Amino acid sequence: MKTALLKVNNLKVNLYTEHAAVRPVDGVSYSVAQSETVAIVGESGCGKTVMNFAPLGLMPTGVSIDVKGSIRFDGQELVGMSEHGLRLIRGKLISTIFQDPMSALNPSRLIGRQIAEVSELHLGHTTKQAEAWALDLVKLVGISDPEYRMKQYPHELSGGLCQRVMIAIAIAAEPKLLIADEPSTALDVTVQAQILKLLKDIQMRLNMAMVIITHDIGVVAGNADHVAVMYAGRIAEYGPVEEVLVNPKHPYTKGLISAIPRSEDPIGSPFRGLSGMPPYLEGPIRGCGFSPRCTAAIDRCSTSRPSFTQITNTNVLAACHIVNQSESQGAMN
Amino acid sequence: MRKLVIKRARNAIILLFLASILCFTLVVSAPGNIAILIAELRTPGASTEAIHIIEEELGLNNPLHIRYFDWLSGVVKGDFGISYKTGESIGEAMAGRLSTTGTLVAGGFAVGFVLSFVLGFAGALRPYGFLDSLTRSVALLGASTPSFFVGAMLIYAFAVELSLFPTFGFVGPQSWVLPWITIGILPASVLSRIVRVGLEEAMSKPFAITARSKGLSRNMILLKDSLPNIAPTYINALGAQAAGMTVGTIVIEPLFAWHGVGDLFLQGVRFRDFMVVQAGLLIFVCFFIVLNLLVDIAVIMSDPKLRRQGGQS
Amino acid sequence: MIMFRDITETISKLPKLAIYLVFFFFIIGLTGPWLTPHDPLIVNLLEAGVGPSAEHWMGTDHLGRDTFSRLIASARTSLVGMSLILAFALTIGISIGTLAGYQRGKVEEVLMRMVDVGQSIPSLIVALAVIGIFGTGYWNMVLALAIAWWPGFARVSRVVAVNVMNKPHIESLRVLGASPARIFFLHLLPTTIGAVLVYATADAGALALSIATLSFLGLGIQPPTPEWGQMLVDGLPFLESDPRQVILPGLALTLVVIGFNFLGESIALNRVPKPLSRLILKRRRFETNEWIKE
Repeated sequence: MKTALLKVNNLKVNLYTEHAAVRPVDGVSYSVAQSETVAIVGESGCGKTVMNFAPLGLMPTGVSIDVKGSIRFDGQELVGMSEHGLRLIRGKLISTIFQDPMSALNPSRLIGRQIAEVSELHLGHTTKQAEAWALDLVKLVGISDPEYRMKQYPHELSGGLCQRVMIAIAIAAEPKLLIADEPSTALDVTVQAQILKLLKDIQMRLNMAMVIITHDIGVVAGNADHVAVMYAGRIAEYGPVEEVLVNPKHPYTKGLISAIPRSEDPIGSPFRGLSGMPPYLEGPIRGCGFSPRCTAAIDRCSTSRPSFTQITNTNVLAACHIVNQSESQGAMN
Repeated sequence: MRKLVIKRARNAIILLFLASILCFTLVVSAPGNIAILIAELRTPGASTEAIHIIEEELGLNNPLHIRYFDWLSGVVKGDFGISYKTGESIGEAMAGRLSTTGTLVAGGFAVGFVLSFVLGFAGALRPYGFLDSLTRSVALLGASTPSFFVGAMLIYAFAVELSLFPTFGFVGPQSWVLPWITIGILPASVLSRIVRVGLEEAMSKPFAITARSKGLSRNMILLKDSLPNIAPTYINALGAQAAGMTVGTIVIEPLFAWHGVGDLFLQGVRFRDFMVVQAGLLIFVCFFIVLNLLVDIAVIMSDPKLRRQGGQS
Repeated sequence: MIMFRDITETISKLPKLAIYLVFFFFIIGLTGPWLTPHDPLIVNLLEAGVGPSAEHWMGTDHLGRDTFSRLIASARTSLVGMSLILAFALTIGISIGTLAGYQRGKVEEVLMRMVDVGQSIPSLIVALAVIGIFGTGYWNMVLALAIAWWPGFARVSRVVAVNVMNKPHIESLRVLGASPARIFFLHLLPTTIGAVLVYATADAGALALSIATLSFLGLGIQPPTPEWGQMLVDGLPFLESDPRQVILPGLALTLVVIGFNFLGESIALNRVPKPLSRLILKRRRFETNEWIKE
């Protein structure tokens, strides 16, 4: 295995509001190596966005958070780092692109300026150099008529174009890691594939590591090397994409995969969804978060939290008592 | 953008026309007969004959629409009629006073503009901190204290007690300071709140998070990303405050004994000098219509969504 | 009715200081005549210009009238004046605004043009123009300010009316056979009045200021009826010798306006969530520490 560029170990994030305390991230561990793509899959509210943005200080204003655990990035420890230290990393070493590209851009500033200021800040460019750099980036992300587009405002661009601009902004300083939060969700279906392909091309060019956050397993299949399946603030299963998608071990992952409609399904057959709702995160969760909805649950599942362990002879880690049980039985045999 | 500006300009012209009709209506329904007044001024104890001659002279017997055009052409040339009280030409009197009022409003405008950003930004640098609460309280005070009270207090503190400035009169730059502060404090306070609240709203928008993810510092985000977004709202408010200041001259000019347009208008109202009231009204209303037009144009230019109405391409 | 619950909810969220100031103003305005130690109108030249004493808590003005009593009486003058003006302006404004919003079309256009013209001229100018034509006097002032104030109410009423009429439940009422009068009086008007009253409260500070300004110019409340603006202008010639006569009415007026403005700002503001106070933060942190570590 390649050496990890980003190593997350037992990360916990608490979020405090006027009325409650919530723990959207409850002991999460994974790693990303250079040039590698890790996909983080989960339902809305499972904590996948908070997990990536909170440690970088990118939460919306008015949100109070606490980050515990460890995130080692390129030799530095991100948990507990000062705002000043994080600011040096943002944009230069770690970049982000967001779910809704049209609102993520500043409506009152020219596109070209919004891209150019990144290299002015991190690469020490003069205004002229930065503008030229931005023009190259605009061409790189596949925007036609680049000189004209640079002088436009976000409201004059379509969603797909805005996302390309966001990508240009994110890679302007040639970061080592790009975090893409639902990069294609807000876009038309036809544009989705284009954007994902663009990301892959750029990743190869820049030798960049990438984390893709998504709720769409289809996005995972073609674009990631490793996948982490999240549920209720914890990782249920984590491993190479081929193994997890083809041979899922955790009941939740199994449910997700089997829910995908197949062409063999006869027309009119019922949707194989998972019953129930994800749990509220406003209090400690006893046992496994998925147990209320799990068809294979045993008593132990609702009392003690399953440990996140590797499954023998695979590169997959899973947090499930049933999996662990069959593991130890297999070991005994 | 051009279409929008032309539309606004056309509206403004229509409003100007309506305003002129309103003022003209006031003129012709004026109590008293101006012919009698003029006759008396020329020769006390004038005869009915003389009055009739003057009536003809002034065209008082012509049909309304002819009188309107006569009046309008006079107004455009600066002839606003004659004051009942002093008998002198109102147009000339106004012209002489324009520079005084202009000085007052221009200075107040500058004070309001600069101070609004100083106070607004100071608060935005560290939201909910001590400086923020302080500037907020100052702004509330400034917006609630009546201008004549501010003026009186400033005169008392700095002119009477400390003798730093003259107590009244239009006598050179030193005499401008207190009136400028007096007329500029209210706009400064109101506008500083607009700046502060606008900046805070902009900072909580998604594009502010994008700016943070680029590695920009908070102050840079305030300056480069948030400020352009408050421009349209600010400009609108600035226009409203400019109009307010112009009205404020009516109160502040007498307080500092400045002989400006506001002062003249006030005297007209006090002595029920009808022609002066009507002339002042016309000037003020036309000024506001033109001011609103300029503000509209400025807002269109400062808001990219209005400036480039091409939509998506 | 539902309106009352909404009102009490909103009031609890408003800043306490503002509520106290406005409430204080109301109380003093209403109970004024019983609180004044002296008759505010009695002239006593022998006691003119006297400083604060046991007899006259805040001294006397240049005509020997007790300042303290006059300050209190002025509150009543302002309160009564504001109420009258608002009564007229609200009636006219709401009528015209809801009519325009209800009818739409030509009627709306014509009415709103009038409102536009009215709103584009600052209120003080309108008031001065009316007074300049009709002369000074109490009812002239009330009329003048009512004329200046109604366009604002009309505009708000129309916006609310248009909003309400577009709501789906109005359509259903029509289908069910409710008469236009019923829709107008039972559904449209209550909502409109609620919204306009909120706006009027936020704008009340400006109204108080306008009354005082007109009185300061000698065109509003005429002597001997006391009013803060009037007291201030009376005290100006004596600024050097007896600044109290200027400071006290000015302060009283400022406090009332602060109260209304503060209230208005809080009503209008849709605040971005502020960071948690240290106390709440500590409480929440304590909570999460209690969670079972599994």
